[in-house]
Amino acid sequence: MIASILDGIVFGLQLGLLATGLSLMYGLGGILNLAYGQMAVVSAVVTVFAIDAGLPVPVAAVVGLATGALVGLVLDLTVLRPVYAQRGEARVLLSLLVSLGVALMIDGFLNWRYPLKGLSIRIAGGPVEILGEPMLRGSLVASGITIVAMGALLAFFRFTTLGRAVRSVIEDEQGARLVGIDPRKMLRLILVLSGAIAGLVAITRSMVTPVDVTAGFGITVFALIVTVVGGLGSVAGALAAGIVLGVVNAIAATKIGTFMSLVILLVVAAGTILVRPAGLLGVEE
Amino acid sequence: MLEVAGLSAGYEGGDVLRGIDLRVGDGEAVTVIGSNGAGKTTLFRAIARLLGISAGAVRFDGKDITGLAAHQVARIGLAFVPAERHLFPRMTVYENLVLGAYPARPSPDTMEMVLDLFPRIAERRRQLAGTMSGGEQQMLAIGRALMAEPRLLVLDEPTTGLAPKLAAEAYAALRELHAGGLTVLVAEQQVPLALELCERGYVLDNGVIVKEGSSAELAADPEVRRAYLGVA
Repeated sequence: MIASILDGIVFGLQLGLLATGLSLMYGLGGILNLAYGQMAVVSAVVTVFAIDAGLPVPVAAVVGLATGALVGLVLDLTVLRPVYAQRGEARVLLSLLVSLGVALMIDGFLNWRYPLKGLSIRIAGGPVEILGEPMLRGSLVASGITIVAMGALLAFFRFTTLGRAVRSVIEDEQGARLVGIDPRKMLRLILVLSGAIAGLVAITRSMVTPVDVTAGFGITVFALIVTVVGGLGSVAGALAAGIVLGVVNAIAATKIGTFMSLVILLVVAAGTILVRPAGLLGVEE
Repeated sequence: MLEVAGLSAGYEGGDVLRGIDLRVGDGEAVTVIGSNGAGKTTLFRAIARLLGISAGAVRFDGKDITGLAAHQVARIGLAFVPAERHLFPRMTVYENLVLGAYPARPSPDTMEMVLDLFPRIAERRRQLAGTMSGGEQQMLAIGRALMAEPRLLVLDEPTTGLAPKLAAEAYAALRELHAGGLTVLVAEQQVPLALELCERGYVLDNGVIVKEGSSAELAADPEVRRAYLGVA
Protein backbone atom coordinates (compact mmCIF):
# COMPACT_ATOMS: atom_id res chain seq x y z
CA MET A 1 0.00 0.00 0.00
CA ILE A 2 2.76 2.45 0.97
CA ALA A 3 4.62 1.51 -2.20
CA SER A 4 1.64 2.31 -4.40
CA ILE A 5 1.00 5.57 -2.58
CA LEU A 6 4.62 6.58 -3.12
CA ASP A 7 4.43 5.61 -6.79
CA GLY A 8 1.18 7.54 -6.98
CA ILE A 9 2.82 10.65 -5.56
CA VAL A 10 5.66 10.39 -8.08
CA PHE A 11 3.18 10.09 -10.94
CA GLY A 12 0.88 12.68 -9.36
CA LEU A 13 3.59 15.31 -9.19
CA GLN A 14 4.21 14.83 -12.89
CA LEU A 15 0.50 14.90 -13.64
CA GLY A 16 0.15 18.12 -11.71
CA LEU A 17 2.97 19.81 -13.57
CA LEU A 18 1.65 18.47 -16.87
CA ALA A 19 -1.83 19.82 -16.23
CA THR A 20 -0.62 23.35 -15.50
CA GLY A 21 0.30 23.80 -19.15
CA LEU A 22 -3.09 22.69 -20.45
CA SER A 23 -4.86 24.65 -17.75
CA LEU A 24 -2.99 27.86 -18.55
CA MET A 25 -3.61 27.64 -22.28
CA TYR A 26 -7.32 27.26 -21.62
CA GLY A 27 -7.57 29.75 -18.79
CA LEU A 28 -5.62 32.43 -20.60
CA GLY A 29 -6.76 32.11 -24.15
CA GLY A 30 -9.62 29.64 -24.39
CA ILE A 31 -7.29 27.25 -26.21
CA LEU A 32 -8.07 23.58 -25.65
CA ASN A 33 -4.87 22.05 -26.94
CA LEU A 34 -5.38 18.39 -27.83
CA ALA A 35 -1.87 18.26 -29.31
CA TYR A 36 -0.44 18.78 -25.84
CA GLY A 37 0.65 15.15 -25.44
CA GLN A 38 2.29 15.26 -28.85
CA MET A 39 4.32 18.30 -27.74
CA ALA A 40 5.63 16.06 -24.97
CA VAL A 41 6.33 13.19 -27.37
CA VAL A 42 8.18 15.41 -29.83
CA SER A 43 10.39 16.59 -26.95
CA ALA A 44 11.04 12.99 -25.96
CA VAL A 45 11.89 11.89 -29.51
CA VAL A 46 14.23 14.84 -30.03
CA THR A 47 15.90 14.01 -26.73
CA VAL A 48 16.44 10.45 -27.98
CA PHE A 49 18.04 11.77 -31.15
CA ALA A 50 20.27 14.11 -29.16
CA ILE A 51 21.39 11.25 -26.93
CA ASP A 52 22.00 9.04 -29.98
CA ALA A 53 24.09 11.84 -31.47
CA GLY A 54 26.38 11.58 -28.46
CA LEU A 55 25.22 14.50 -26.33
CA PRO A 56 25.32 13.99 -22.57
CA VAL A 57 21.85 13.18 -21.21
CA PRO A 58 21.30 16.48 -19.36
CA VAL A 59 22.23 18.47 -22.48
CA ALA A 60 20.04 16.24 -24.63
CA ALA A 61 17.18 16.83 -22.19
CA VAL A 62 17.60 20.59 -22.49
CA VAL A 63 17.55 20.26 -26.29
CA GLY A 64 14.33 18.23 -25.97
CA LEU A 65 12.78 20.84 -23.68
CA ALA A 66 13.71 23.64 -26.02
CA THR A 67 12.11 21.71 -28.86
CA GLY A 68 8.87 21.44 -26.88
CA ALA A 69 8.94 25.19 -26.36
CA LEU A 70 9.62 25.69 -30.06
CA VAL A 71 6.62 23.53 -31.00
CA GLY A 72 4.49 25.79 -28.81
CA LEU A 73 5.86 28.88 -30.52
CA VAL A 74 5.29 27.42 -33.99
CA LEU A 75 1.69 26.50 -33.13
CA ASP A 76 1.12 30.03 -31.86
CA LEU A 77 2.54 31.59 -35.01
CA THR A 78 0.82 29.30 -37.50
CA VAL A 79 -2.26 27.12 -37.00
CA LEU A 80 -3.55 28.99 -33.96
CA ARG A 81 -3.77 32.33 -35.80
CA PRO A 82 -7.23 31.66 -37.23
CA VAL A 83 -8.23 30.35 -33.81
CA TYR A 84 -7.23 33.63 -32.15
CA ALA A 85 -9.47 35.50 -34.58
CA GLN A 86 -12.47 33.80 -32.95
CA ARG A 87 -14.03 34.64 -29.60
CA GLY A 88 -15.67 32.66 -26.84
CA GLU A 89 -17.06 29.24 -27.58
CA ALA A 90 -16.09 29.36 -31.24
CA ARG A 91 -12.48 29.78 -30.21
CA VAL A 92 -12.56 26.82 -27.83
CA LEU A 93 -14.16 24.56 -30.44
CA LEU A 94 -11.89 25.66 -33.26
CA SER A 95 -8.79 25.23 -31.08
CA LEU A 96 -9.98 21.73 -30.24
CA LEU A 97 -10.35 20.79 -33.92
CA VAL A 98 -7.15 22.45 -35.10
CA SER A 99 -5.04 20.94 -32.32
CA LEU A 100 -6.61 17.54 -32.90
CA GLY A 101 -5.49 17.82 -36.53
CA VAL A 102 -1.98 18.76 -35.42
CA ALA A 103 -1.94 15.85 -32.97
CA LEU A 104 -2.99 13.36 -35.65
CA MET A 105 -0.35 14.69 -38.05
CA ILE A 106 2.42 14.46 -35.49
CA ASP A 107 1.29 10.99 -34.40
CA GLY A 108 1.05 9.83 -38.00
CA PHE A 109 4.46 11.17 -38.90
CA LEU A 110 6.19 9.69 -35.86
CA ASN A 111 4.51 6.31 -36.35
CA TRP A 112 5.53 6.26 -39.97
CA ARG A 113 9.15 7.39 -39.62
CA TYR A 114 10.18 6.44 -36.09
CA PRO A 115 7.77 3.78 -34.85
CA LEU A 116 10.32 2.25 -32.51
CA LYS A 117 11.77 5.37 -30.95
CA GLY A 118 11.19 5.62 -27.24
CA LEU A 119 12.84 7.64 -24.54
CA SER A 120 14.05 5.86 -21.49
CA ILE A 121 16.54 7.64 -19.28
CA ARG A 122 18.30 5.40 -16.81
CA ILE A 123 19.49 6.97 -13.59
CA ALA A 124 22.48 5.02 -12.31
CA GLY A 125 22.42 3.49 -8.85
CA GLY A 126 20.29 1.04 -6.95
CA PRO A 127 16.95 1.58 -5.26
CA VAL A 128 16.69 3.91 -2.29
CA GLU A 129 14.63 2.97 0.73
CA ILE A 130 11.82 5.41 1.55
CA LEU A 131 9.45 4.58 4.46
CA GLY A 132 10.72 1.02 4.29
CA GLU A 133 9.91 0.67 0.60
CA PRO A 134 12.55 0.41 -2.14
CA MET A 135 12.13 3.29 -4.61
CA LEU A 136 13.73 3.55 -8.02
CA ARG A 137 16.39 6.19 -8.03
CA GLY A 138 14.88 7.46 -11.29
CA SER A 139 11.56 8.07 -9.52
CA LEU A 140 13.28 10.20 -6.92
CA VAL A 141 15.28 12.22 -9.42
CA ALA A 142 12.17 12.73 -11.54
CA SER A 143 10.19 13.86 -8.50
CA GLY A 144 12.96 16.18 -7.40
CA ILE A 145 13.10 17.85 -10.81
CA THR A 146 9.31 18.08 -10.93
CA ILE A 147 9.08 19.69 -7.49
CA VAL A 148 11.76 22.23 -8.37
CA ALA A 149 9.93 23.03 -11.63
CA MET A 150 6.64 23.45 -9.77
CA GLY A 151 8.27 25.75 -7.24
CA ALA A 152 9.83 27.80 -10.02
CA LEU A 153 6.50 28.02 -11.83
CA LEU A 154 4.60 29.11 -8.71
CA ALA A 155 7.28 31.68 -7.86
CA PHE A 156 7.17 33.00 -11.42
CA PHE A 157 3.42 33.57 -11.23
CA ARG A 158 3.44 35.00 -7.75
CA PHE A 159 6.46 37.25 -7.64
CA THR A 160 7.48 38.39 -11.12
CA THR A 161 5.89 41.19 -13.10
CA LEU A 162 5.57 38.97 -16.15
CA GLY A 163 4.00 36.17 -14.10
CA ARG A 164 1.53 38.59 -12.57
CA ALA A 165 0.73 39.92 -16.02
CA VAL A 166 -0.10 36.39 -17.18
CA ARG A 167 -2.40 35.89 -14.19
CA SER A 168 -4.09 39.21 -14.79
CA VAL A 169 -5.15 38.09 -18.26
CA ILE A 170 -6.76 34.99 -16.72
CA GLU A 171 -8.46 37.19 -14.12
CA ASP A 172 -9.81 39.84 -16.46
CA GLU A 173 -8.58 40.15 -20.03
CA GLN A 174 -10.06 43.59 -20.53
CA GLY A 175 -8.56 44.81 -17.28
CA ALA A 176 -5.20 43.51 -18.47
CA ARG A 177 -5.48 45.45 -21.71
CA LEU A 178 -6.35 48.58 -19.75
CA VAL A 179 -3.08 48.45 -17.82
CA GLY A 180 -1.06 47.96 -21.00
CA ILE A 181 -0.78 44.19 -21.21
CA ASP A 182 -1.09 42.57 -24.62
CA PRO A 183 -3.05 39.33 -24.05
CA ARG A 184 -1.76 37.86 -27.33
CA LYS A 185 1.84 38.16 -26.16
CA MET A 186 0.96 36.51 -22.85
CA LEU A 187 -0.74 33.68 -24.71
CA ARG A 188 2.34 33.19 -26.88
CA LEU A 189 4.47 33.05 -23.75
CA ILE A 190 2.14 30.43 -22.29
CA LEU A 191 2.29 28.28 -25.43
CA VAL A 192 6.07 28.34 -25.30
CA LEU A 193 6.02 27.62 -21.57
CA SER A 194 3.50 24.81 -22.00
CA GLY A 195 5.67 23.20 -24.68
CA ALA A 196 8.62 23.26 -22.29
CA ILE A 197 6.47 21.87 -19.45
CA ALA A 198 5.19 19.05 -21.67
CA GLY A 199 8.77 18.30 -22.64
CA LEU A 200 9.96 18.31 -19.04
CA VAL A 201 7.21 15.91 -18.00
CA ALA A 202 8.03 13.54 -20.87
CA ILE A 203 11.70 13.60 -19.96
CA THR A 204 11.19 13.07 -16.22
CA ARG A 205 8.54 10.41 -16.93
CA SER A 206 11.10 8.51 -18.99
CA MET A 207 13.22 8.13 -15.86
CA VAL A 208 10.43 5.96 -14.44
CA THR A 209 8.93 4.27 -17.47
CA PRO A 210 9.67 4.48 -21.24
CA VAL A 211 7.89 7.20 -23.23
CA ASP A 212 7.29 6.01 -26.79
CA VAL A 213 5.91 7.68 -29.90
CA THR A 214 2.34 6.49 -29.26
CA ALA A 215 2.16 8.10 -25.80
CA GLY A 216 0.75 11.43 -27.00
CA PHE A 217 -3.00 10.97 -26.64
CA GLY A 218 -2.62 9.16 -23.32
CA ILE A 219 -0.70 12.13 -21.96
CA THR A 220 -3.34 14.54 -23.25
CA VAL A 221 -6.14 12.51 -21.65
CA PHE A 222 -4.41 12.48 -18.26
CA ALA A 223 -3.70 16.20 -18.51
CA LEU A 224 -7.33 16.90 -19.41
CA ILE A 225 -8.72 14.93 -16.48
CA VAL A 226 -6.37 16.61 -14.03
CA THR A 227 -7.09 20.05 -15.48
CA VAL A 228 -10.83 19.57 -15.19
CA VAL A 229 -10.57 18.38 -11.59
CA GLY A 230 -8.13 21.13 -10.63
CA GLY A 231 -10.13 23.90 -12.22
CA LEU A 232 -9.42 25.46 -15.60
CA GLY A 233 -6.92 28.26 -15.39
CA SER A 234 -5.73 27.46 -11.89
CA VAL A 235 -2.08 26.50 -11.53
CA ALA A 236 -2.35 25.62 -7.84
CA GLY A 237 -5.51 23.61 -8.58
CA ALA A 238 -3.77 21.63 -11.30
CA LEU A 239 -0.87 20.80 -9.00
CA ALA A 240 -3.17 19.69 -6.17
CA ALA A 241 -5.43 17.65 -8.46
CA GLY A 242 -2.40 15.99 -10.03
CA ILE A 243 -1.17 14.62 -6.73
CA VAL A 244 -4.64 13.47 -5.61
CA LEU A 245 -5.35 11.73 -8.92
CA GLY A 246 -1.88 10.25 -9.10
CA VAL A 247 -2.41 8.53 -5.76
CA VAL A 248 -5.94 7.43 -6.69
CA ASN A 249 -4.58 6.05 -9.94
CA ALA A 250 -1.80 4.09 -8.25
CA ILE A 251 -4.06 2.61 -5.57
CA ALA A 252 -6.70 1.70 -8.16
CA ALA A 253 -4.05 0.09 -10.34
CA THR A 254 -2.71 -2.14 -7.56
CA LYS A 255 -6.00 -2.94 -5.79
CA ILE A 256 -8.23 -3.39 -8.80
CA GLY A 257 -6.11 -3.46 -11.91
CA THR A 258 -4.52 -1.10 -14.39
CA PHE A 259 -7.40 -1.62 -16.82
CA MET A 260 -9.80 -0.01 -14.37
CA SER A 261 -7.62 2.82 -13.09
CA LEU A 262 -8.44 5.25 -15.88
CA VAL A 263 -12.16 4.54 -15.47
CA ILE A 264 -11.86 5.19 -11.75
CA LEU A 265 -10.01 8.44 -12.45
CA LEU A 266 -12.84 9.51 -14.72
CA VAL A 267 -15.38 8.66 -12.02
CA VAL A 268 -13.44 10.75 -9.49
CA ALA A 269 -13.21 13.58 -12.00
CA ALA A 270 -16.92 13.42 -12.75
CA GLY A 271 -17.69 13.34 -9.03
CA THR A 272 -15.57 16.43 -8.45
CA ILE A 273 -17.35 18.30 -11.21
CA LEU A 274 -20.74 17.39 -9.74
CA VAL A 275 -19.73 18.72 -6.33
CA ARG A 276 -17.65 21.66 -7.52
CA PRO A 277 -18.44 22.60 -11.14
CA ALA A 278 -15.46 24.96 -11.35
CA GLY A 279 -13.01 22.28 -10.14
CA LEU A 280 -11.01 22.27 -6.92
CA LEU A 281 -9.66 25.79 -7.30
CA GLY A 282 -11.22 26.99 -10.53
CA VAL A 283 -12.90 30.30 -11.21
CA GLU A 284 -16.64 30.47 -10.64
CA GLU A 285 -18.09 32.01 -13.78
CA MET B 1 -4.44 66.73 -25.29
CA LEU B 2 -7.36 64.66 -26.56
CA GLU B 3 -9.26 65.38 -29.71
CA VAL B 4 -12.16 63.34 -31.02
CA ALA B 5 -13.17 64.31 -34.54
CA GLY B 6 -16.24 63.13 -36.42
CA LEU B 7 -16.27 59.88 -34.47
CA SER B 8 -18.82 57.21 -35.31
CA ALA B 9 -18.71 53.90 -33.53
CA GLY B 10 -20.93 51.14 -32.28
CA TYR B 11 -21.53 47.46 -32.21
CA GLU B 12 -22.66 44.89 -34.73
CA GLY B 13 -25.91 46.06 -36.17
CA GLY B 14 -25.14 49.73 -36.33
CA ASP B 15 -23.44 52.80 -34.96
CA VAL B 16 -24.40 54.07 -31.55
CA LEU B 17 -22.41 57.27 -31.93
CA ARG B 18 -22.65 59.56 -34.92
CA GLY B 19 -20.14 62.27 -35.68
CA ILE B 20 -18.89 63.08 -32.22
CA ASP B 21 -16.55 66.06 -31.85
CA LEU B 22 -14.92 66.53 -28.48
CA ARG B 23 -11.77 68.15 -27.17
CA VAL B 24 -9.92 68.04 -23.88
CA GLY B 25 -7.16 70.60 -23.43
CA ASP B 26 -4.01 70.15 -21.34
CA GLY B 27 -4.81 70.33 -17.64
CA GLU B 28 -8.55 70.56 -18.20
CA ALA B 29 -11.30 68.53 -16.55
CA VAL B 30 -14.15 67.82 -18.94
CA THR B 31 -17.35 65.89 -18.41
CA VAL B 32 -19.70 64.07 -20.72
CA ILE B 33 -23.16 63.93 -19.24
CA GLY B 34 -26.10 62.00 -20.52
CA SER B 35 -28.71 59.52 -19.46
CA ASN B 36 -28.39 55.74 -19.54
CA GLY B 37 -28.01 54.52 -23.10
CA ALA B 38 -26.99 57.92 -24.46
CA GLY B 39 -23.71 56.39 -25.70
CA LYS B 40 -21.28 57.58 -23.03
CA THR B 41 -19.79 54.14 -22.46
CA THR B 42 -19.54 53.50 -26.20
CA LEU B 43 -17.74 56.82 -26.65
CA PHE B 44 -15.26 56.12 -23.87
CA ARG B 45 -14.63 52.57 -24.99
CA ALA B 46 -13.90 53.89 -28.47
CA ILE B 47 -11.48 56.48 -27.05
CA ALA B 48 -9.70 53.78 -25.02
CA ARG B 49 -9.59 51.69 -28.22
CA LEU B 50 -11.56 48.82 -26.72
CA LEU B 51 -14.08 49.28 -29.49
CA GLY B 52 -13.76 49.64 -33.25
CA ILE B 53 -14.33 53.00 -34.88
CA SER B 54 -16.32 53.17 -38.11
CA ALA B 55 -15.53 56.78 -38.99
CA GLY B 56 -13.58 59.72 -37.65
CA ALA B 57 -10.45 59.86 -35.55
CA VAL B 58 -9.16 59.98 -32.01
CA ARG B 59 -6.00 62.03 -31.51
CA PHE B 60 -3.93 62.04 -28.34
CA ASP B 61 -1.23 64.72 -28.10
CA GLY B 62 -1.79 65.41 -31.78
CA LYS B 63 -1.05 61.80 -32.70
CA ASP B 64 -3.72 59.69 -34.37
CA ILE B 65 -4.38 56.73 -32.06
CA THR B 66 -7.26 55.32 -34.08
CA GLY B 67 -5.06 52.44 -35.25
CA LEU B 68 -3.72 51.53 -31.82
CA ALA B 69 -4.89 48.66 -29.61
CA ALA B 70 -6.14 49.26 -26.05
CA HIS B 71 -2.89 48.08 -24.42
CA GLN B 72 -0.86 50.46 -26.59
CA VAL B 73 -3.05 53.42 -25.70
CA ALA B 74 -2.62 52.56 -22.02
CA ARG B 75 1.15 52.68 -22.41
CA ILE B 76 1.28 56.17 -23.94
CA GLY B 77 -0.40 57.86 -21.01
CA LEU B 78 -4.14 57.52 -21.56
CA ALA B 79 -5.61 55.59 -18.65
CA PHE B 80 -9.21 54.42 -18.80
CA VAL B 81 -11.26 53.39 -15.76
CA PRO B 82 -14.41 51.62 -16.99
CA ALA B 83 -17.62 51.62 -14.98
CA GLU B 84 -17.28 47.87 -14.41
CA ARG B 85 -13.73 48.52 -13.17
CA HIS B 86 -12.24 45.29 -14.55
CA LEU B 87 -9.99 44.71 -11.57
CA PHE B 88 -8.15 41.43 -11.04
CA PRO B 89 -10.43 39.96 -8.36
CA ARG B 90 -8.28 37.07 -7.10
CA MET B 91 -5.13 39.15 -6.91
CA THR B 92 -4.24 41.33 -3.97
CA VAL B 93 -4.81 45.07 -3.86
CA TYR B 94 -1.06 45.49 -3.98
CA GLU B 95 -0.72 43.27 -7.06
CA ASN B 96 -3.48 45.18 -8.82
CA LEU B 97 -1.60 48.41 -8.18
CA VAL B 98 1.73 46.96 -9.29
CA LEU B 99 0.19 45.81 -12.56
CA GLY B 100 -1.13 49.30 -13.12
CA ALA B 101 2.44 50.37 -13.82
CA TYR B 102 3.02 47.56 -16.34
CA PRO B 103 5.42 47.08 -18.08
CA ALA B 104 7.46 49.39 -15.86
CA ARG B 105 8.30 48.72 -12.24
CA PRO B 106 5.97 50.74 -10.04
CA SER B 107 7.64 53.89 -8.80
CA PRO B 108 7.65 54.09 -4.98
CA ASP B 109 6.61 57.75 -5.15
CA THR B 110 3.55 57.00 -7.25
CA MET B 111 2.61 54.07 -5.03
CA GLU B 112 2.86 56.35 -1.99
CA MET B 113 0.81 59.05 -3.70
CA VAL B 114 -1.95 56.55 -4.55
CA LEU B 115 -2.00 55.06 -1.04
CA ASP B 116 -2.11 58.55 0.48
CA LEU B 117 -4.96 59.49 -1.80
CA PHE B 118 -6.96 56.39 -0.88
CA PRO B 119 -6.28 55.47 2.76
CA ARG B 120 -9.00 52.80 2.56
CA ILE B 121 -6.94 51.02 -0.08
CA ALA B 122 -3.74 51.38 1.90
CA GLU B 123 -5.31 49.50 4.81
CA ARG B 124 -6.22 46.61 2.53
CA ARG B 125 -3.03 46.06 0.57
CA ARG B 126 -2.95 42.32 1.20
CA GLN B 127 -6.66 41.73 0.68
CA LEU B 128 -7.94 40.18 -2.56
CA ALA B 129 -9.44 42.89 -4.75
CA GLY B 130 -12.63 40.90 -5.36
CA THR B 131 -13.46 40.79 -1.66
CA MET B 132 -13.66 44.56 -1.25
CA SER B 133 -16.77 46.73 -1.29
CA GLY B 134 -17.88 48.52 -4.44
CA GLY B 135 -16.53 51.84 -3.22
CA GLU B 136 -13.15 50.40 -2.36
CA GLN B 137 -13.00 48.65 -5.72
CA GLN B 138 -13.72 51.93 -7.48
CA MET B 139 -10.90 53.62 -5.61
CA LEU B 140 -8.59 50.73 -6.43
CA ALA B 141 -9.54 50.99 -10.10
CA ILE B 142 -8.66 54.70 -10.07
CA GLY B 143 -5.50 53.94 -8.12
CA ARG B 144 -4.47 51.24 -10.56
CA ALA B 145 -4.94 53.64 -13.46
CA LEU B 146 -2.81 56.27 -11.68
CA MET B 147 0.08 53.82 -11.21
CA ALA B 148 0.98 54.24 -14.88
CA GLU B 149 1.39 58.00 -14.26
CA PRO B 150 -1.04 58.86 -17.04
CA ARG B 151 -1.37 62.31 -18.53
CA LEU B 152 -5.07 61.82 -19.22
CA LEU B 153 -7.40 59.97 -16.89
CA VAL B 154 -10.64 58.86 -18.53
CA LEU B 155 -13.38 57.63 -16.19
CA ASP B 156 -16.70 56.11 -17.14
CA GLU B 157 -19.28 56.77 -14.44
CA PRO B 158 -17.00 56.34 -11.43
CA THR B 159 -19.98 56.62 -9.06
CA THR B 160 -21.75 53.54 -10.44
CA GLY B 161 -23.14 51.53 -7.55
CA LEU B 162 -21.64 53.81 -4.90
CA ALA B 163 -23.45 55.21 -1.88
CA PRO B 164 -23.61 59.04 -1.94
CA LYS B 165 -20.91 59.36 0.70
CA LEU B 166 -18.48 57.18 -1.26
CA ALA B 167 -19.35 58.91 -4.52
CA ALA B 168 -18.45 62.21 -2.88
CA GLU B 169 -15.23 60.66 -1.59
CA ALA B 170 -14.28 59.45 -5.06
CA TYR B 171 -14.91 62.91 -6.48
CA ALA B 172 -12.90 64.52 -3.70
CA ALA B 173 -9.96 62.36 -4.79
CA LEU B 174 -10.51 63.35 -8.42
CA ARG B 175 -10.59 67.05 -7.46
CA GLU B 176 -7.30 66.62 -5.64
CA LEU B 177 -5.74 64.92 -8.67
CA HIS B 178 -7.04 67.57 -11.02
CA ALA B 179 -5.77 70.33 -8.72
CA GLY B 180 -2.38 68.63 -8.99
CA GLY B 181 -2.48 69.16 -12.77
CA LEU B 182 -3.97 65.90 -14.06
CA THR B 183 -6.17 66.15 -17.13
CA VAL B 184 -9.50 64.40 -16.63
CA LEU B 185 -12.36 63.27 -18.85
CA VAL B 186 -15.31 61.82 -16.98
CA ALA B 187 -18.71 60.51 -18.02
CA GLU B 188 -21.34 60.87 -15.36
CA GLN B 189 -24.99 60.49 -14.56
CA GLN B 190 -24.61 62.22 -11.21
CA VAL B 191 -24.33 65.54 -12.97
CA PRO B 192 -23.86 67.89 -9.99
CA LEU B 193 -20.71 66.06 -8.92
CA ALA B 194 -19.28 66.13 -12.43
CA LEU B 195 -20.06 69.81 -13.00
CA GLU B 196 -18.43 70.69 -9.70
CA LEU B 197 -15.21 68.91 -10.72
CA CYS B 198 -15.03 69.97 -14.35
CA GLU B 199 -14.56 73.28 -16.13
CA ARG B 200 -16.45 72.27 -19.25
CA GLY B 201 -18.93 69.66 -20.36
CA TYR B 202 -20.72 68.03 -23.24
CA VAL B 203 -24.25 66.67 -23.25
CA LEU B 204 -24.61 63.40 -25.11
CA ASP B 205 -28.06 62.30 -26.14
CA ASN B 206 -28.94 59.39 -28.37
CA GLY B 207 -25.43 59.15 -29.82
CA VAL B 208 -24.88 62.80 -30.69
CA ILE B 209 -23.52 65.80 -28.80
CA VAL B 210 -26.50 68.09 -28.30
CA LYS B 211 -24.91 70.74 -26.15
CA GLU B 212 -21.55 71.91 -24.91
CA GLY B 213 -20.34 74.68 -22.70
CA SER B 214 -18.72 75.66 -19.45
CA SER B 215 -19.94 73.94 -16.32
CA ALA B 216 -21.62 77.15 -15.20
CA GLU B 217 -23.47 77.45 -18.52
CA LEU B 218 -24.59 73.85 -18.38
CA ALA B 219 -25.70 74.16 -14.77
CA ALA B 220 -27.77 77.16 -15.73
CA ASP B 221 -29.23 75.63 -18.87
CA PRO B 222 -32.97 75.00 -18.39
CA GLU B 223 -32.93 71.75 -20.39
CA VAL B 224 -29.93 70.37 -18.52
CA ARG B 225 -31.54 71.38 -15.24
CA ARG B 226 -34.76 69.63 -16.14
CA ALA B 227 -33.22 66.45 -17.59
CA TYR B 228 -30.16 65.89 -15.43
CA LEU B 229 -30.34 68.03 -12.35
CA GLY B 230 -33.86 67.10 -11.34
CA VAL B 231 -35.03 70.71 -11.32
CA ALA B 232 -38.51 71.23 -12.68
